[in-house]
Amino acid sequence: MLALAETRFSFVGDEYIYAEISREMSVSTSFKALAVTRELHARTIPGIIDICPANASYLIRYNPDIVSPYDLLDYLKEIDLTKSRPEALNLTSRIVEIPTWYNDPTTREYARRFKDRNESPHFSDFELVMKSRGFTDEQAFINDHASTPYLLTMVGFILGTAWEFPLLLPPDGVFDIPKYKSPRTETPRQAIGMGGAFTVVYPVASSGSYQLIGITPVPVYHPEQKLAEFKDSMFLARPGDIWVHRPIGETEYYSILTQVENGIYRYRTKNFDFSPEQYAQEGKAYIDSMMKGF
Amino acid sequence: MLDVIKPGLHTTVQDLGRDGFYHLGVPPGGAADKYSFQIGNFLVGNPAHYAGLEIRMLGPTLLFTKRTLIAITGAPTPCFINDEPVPMWQCLEIKAGDVLSFRFAQQGICTYVCISGGIHSPEFLGSQSTYIVHQKPECGYKLEIGGKLMINEPLPGAFKHAGRFLPESFRPSFSKTAELHATLGLAIHRISDEGVRVFLDSEWIVSTESDRIAYRLSGGPISFEHTVQTTETDDYSANVVDLPYPVGVITVPNPKELIILVSDATAGGGFVTIGAVISSDLDTLNQCRPQTTVHFSAVTMEQALRLRAEKKQRLASAAEYLTT
Repeated sequence: MLALAETRFSFVGDEYIYAEISREMSVSTSFKALAVTRELHARTIPGIIDICPANASYLIRYNPDIVSPYDLLDYLKEIDLTKSRPEALNLTSRIVEIPTWYNDPTTREYARRFKDRNESPHFSDFELVMKSRGFTDEQAFINDHASTPYLLTMVGFILGTAWEFPLLLPPDGVFDIPKYKSPRTETPRQAIGMGGAFTVVYPVASSGSYQLIGITPVPVYHPEQKLAEFKDSMFLARPGDIWVHRPIGETEYYSILTQVENGIYRYRTKNFDFSPEQYAQEGKAYIDSMMKGF
Repeated sequence: MLDVIKPGLHTTVQDLGRDGFYHLGVPPGGAADKYSFQIGNFLVGNPAHYAGLEIRMLGPTLLFTKRTLIAITGAPTPCFINDEPVPMWQCLEIKAGDVLSFRFAQQGICTYVCISGGIHSPEFLGSQSTYIVHQKPECGYKLEIGGKLMINEPLPGAFKHAGRFLPESFRPSFSKTAELHATLGLAIHRISDEGVRVFLDSEWIVSTESDRIAYRLSGGPISFEHTVQTTETDDYSANVVDLPYPVGVITVPNPKELIILVSDATAGGGFVTIGAVISSDLDTLNQCRPQTTVHFSAVTMEQALRLRAEKKQRLASAAEYLTT
């Protein structure tokens, strides 16, 4: 059931207010973060600079020369309360397909190069994730990962990196994949990583601490804005999107890469009004109806 | 026009940064030491936000192809026009054909060159600030050998400012030790009481892996609160549910390391956080060289706002001194 505890607010430095909905990750906490921050975005509040929804929290950056931190805190608490009822959490969303080459040679090579910074130098990142998730068969793990739709609970890190949280959890609940002990200094562009319960696509070459499990030929950050999905924004991810990974092999990877380079690739998408309340009640049946025809 | 003869170690176009895109993972960016940067603009008669150059450690060699005014501020650096030493914190006249060059900074990290009228370069999401990801500018401009940079016309009347300077009393100080004020909180519940005490009592040493994204410091050890293990591989307690990282946030990836996110911050992650350096101390942090000894002291919101007001007043007094 949807049940939310009281949000804990705290001042962070002199320009940020951090609202912690929960210390544990769950889908309902991120629906609440999405609902509150969408409401804040819709109002144009003087003095507010950034509104960042996150997995189990949200962060507000403000200018204390314009708005008193204490008054803003009271204001935020008021809005937070209005989004505590399940029916206030409904969300216009869209499903987006991310073609994924699992356990590809590029990310395997990066995992090998940075193994000394990882939990165990004896396993590849992919093996470590499989083991942590209780799989021994590569194909079984891939099937499991690709048959799960993921909710984008947070966008950030760098240039449109989206945190994908599984909408269908295994019977034993939220899993927790360990991250690198010290971050990699390099990650290839469009590599796919897992950490905690999350999957991410790295938008550009960057540092990173998630375990690398594959790579996608499609951009999630596209400053040239040549592809149709990027007409209005350089970033594919919108908090509240639902992303699905479709397994592909080497041939299709390079074929899609060419389509992307020629500016003709079209993402498979579908718009959907998501009801967190119905999802909480019906679970897999609701997700199945959502995925029908996709 | 500016012709880049030598680019220096890491020279980028910066202004006061871009706001409002952090929720998409685009950090505020902008000059790392905003106080020195703004003084540079005031010296040449510019508004505070006009784009200038940020130099890190070793500056470029630049050929000016038109007459203008510049000011060099920030980290103390030997600087030369046509091989003649010139002073910092002063409005200098440049003639067409003059060459500006630098030697290694003696202290600090960031030196600024502000040019009357500002630099003309494309905006990305409302700012000319250069944002580098993996050594490649995603936007803005990083100086390269043979590169050319458009500069705007000097502001009308600007040449009458030539020669004006900022007295030492208004300049920031640079030292081998730094005191940083921080508010404590965020995921501090994951740090033990002893860990918080160690964080505040011990000396932290700035590491060489520090840049415009993050500062890394070593020291400690900070002990974590014991947590329930959730999987067999999770014998490590430095992880929390990923949260948005405020600029200035102090994360504790392992007991002996702190990572403080600065101008080009990665907007979120899952390391345990202990608090955040207040905004008015970020300039100081960004001028800390590797091996600088840092000490943290905890402040309340009231104290943080007072320190912020004092800093703002210092900048306003400097601006007032220069304009009267």
